[in-house]
Amino acid sequence: MTVVDLTASGTLAGPRPSSTPSPSTGTTTTTPERRIVDAALRCICRWGVAKTALDDVAREAGCSRATVYRLFPGGKDGLMETVARTEIERFFAALADRLDTAATLEDGIVGVMAEAGHRLKTHEALQYLLAHEPEAVLPRLAFSEMDQVLRIASDFAAPRLSRWLPDDEARRAAEWVARLIVSYSITPATHMSIDDEGSVRALVRTFVLPGLTNLTNNANANASATRAANEGGTTNGQDH
Amino acid sequence: MAAGARERILEATYACVARYGISKTTVEDAAREARLSRATVYRHFPGGKDELVNETIRWETNRFFLRLAEAVAGTNGLDEMLVEALLFAHRAIEQHAVLQKILQTEPELLLPQLSVDSDRVLGFIKTFLRPAVEEHGLPPGTDPDQAADYLSRMVMSFIAAQGRWDLTDREQVRDLVRTELLTGL
Repeated sequence: MTVVDLTASGTLAGPRPSSTPSPSTGTTTTTPERRIVDAALRCICRWGVAKTALDDVAREAGCSRATVYRLFPGGKDGLMETVARTEIERFFAALADRLDTAATLEDGIVGVMAEAGHRLKTHEALQYLLAHEPEAVLPRLAFSEMDQVLRIASDFAAPRLSRWLPDDEARRAAEWVARLIVSYSITPATHMSIDDEGSVRALVRTFVLPGLTNLTNNANANASATRAANEGGTTNGQDH
Repeated sequence: MAAGARERILEATYACVARYGISKTTVEDAAREARLSRATVYRHFPGGKDELVNETIRWETNRFFLRLAEAVAGTNGLDEMLVEALLFAHRAIEQHAVLQKILQTEPELLLPQLSVDSDRVLGFIKTFLRPAVEEHGLPPGTDPDQAADYLSRMVMSFIAAQGRWDLTDREQVRDLVRTELLTGL
């Protein structure tokens, strides 16, 4: 059985260039590899991972089976890994954008949760797999595999959250937010929707920010104190 | 009598799964272990092996959360209840030999069913925590249902994966409960 390795990408940890092409414009400069990966994704939306054969992908991409094999020497498993990695990179690029353009910690957390919630909820291939082939996805979200997902999410989000939080607290916040995204996406709540910014903001304000704003204030106070000590009392700290 | 037979079959299936794993356990194995006929097993579980396995996972999940509820029954206040719940649940998962074996050898046969069950488990934890949440008191405007829902999700998330925390360390668990679970309550 092929299991899509959601954690296969090693590129998620580092900061990404902000010029990642958006999915909607992805068709303008397609390489053959990209065309095959996109075709494979469409096949997964239709038939799932197990029932998608390389022949289907080749037909969908309008190329020969030999071309698929030449470009993906790892065969179906290798291709599926690439599909998963491509989708995960797209996902994280969108989240990075939300975090990088947010004005405040609250906007950053709310934006990243709603964006992730929306993308997971409307991702056709993922939703197909959750409905018809959960064994291809869910083993990645529990126990030791979940630890790995949390680590990747922290590596990704912590450097971005450190705009507002000290490093260690940024890692803690990143993991916390990742847990909430997974929980509300896999087991939807009746009273709120993870892809709705209004209800996410209420959740974040009630249950998350009180655990972080103190730290932000402390961090600011510490930073101000340090600056004050270094600069002899003339600080121009930013308001948050 | 019927409930007795059902319970016996589930217990027997659980014993078989512990011994052979999920994929190698058959309806015959379960019947033999329960000292019942194959027909009796099918009468209780008309869906055969799939139903038997899914119901056994459900049965053990129920037992797990009942043990957890029992473990925290004597605690004083929401704070202490959550600390004990996380400590107990983490240890119980680590020491759950059957679970750990299945996670090693055939996670794809277990985890989808656990996830199907997650709604029910969430409901169970919520119902359990709700009175303690009320007793704890909430800031004005905070809905007790939503607070119980949030706490239950956090508890489930930490049962599934401890992440950067060490849930065997009581001090850390206290810190976690204070800073991430109860911070808004």
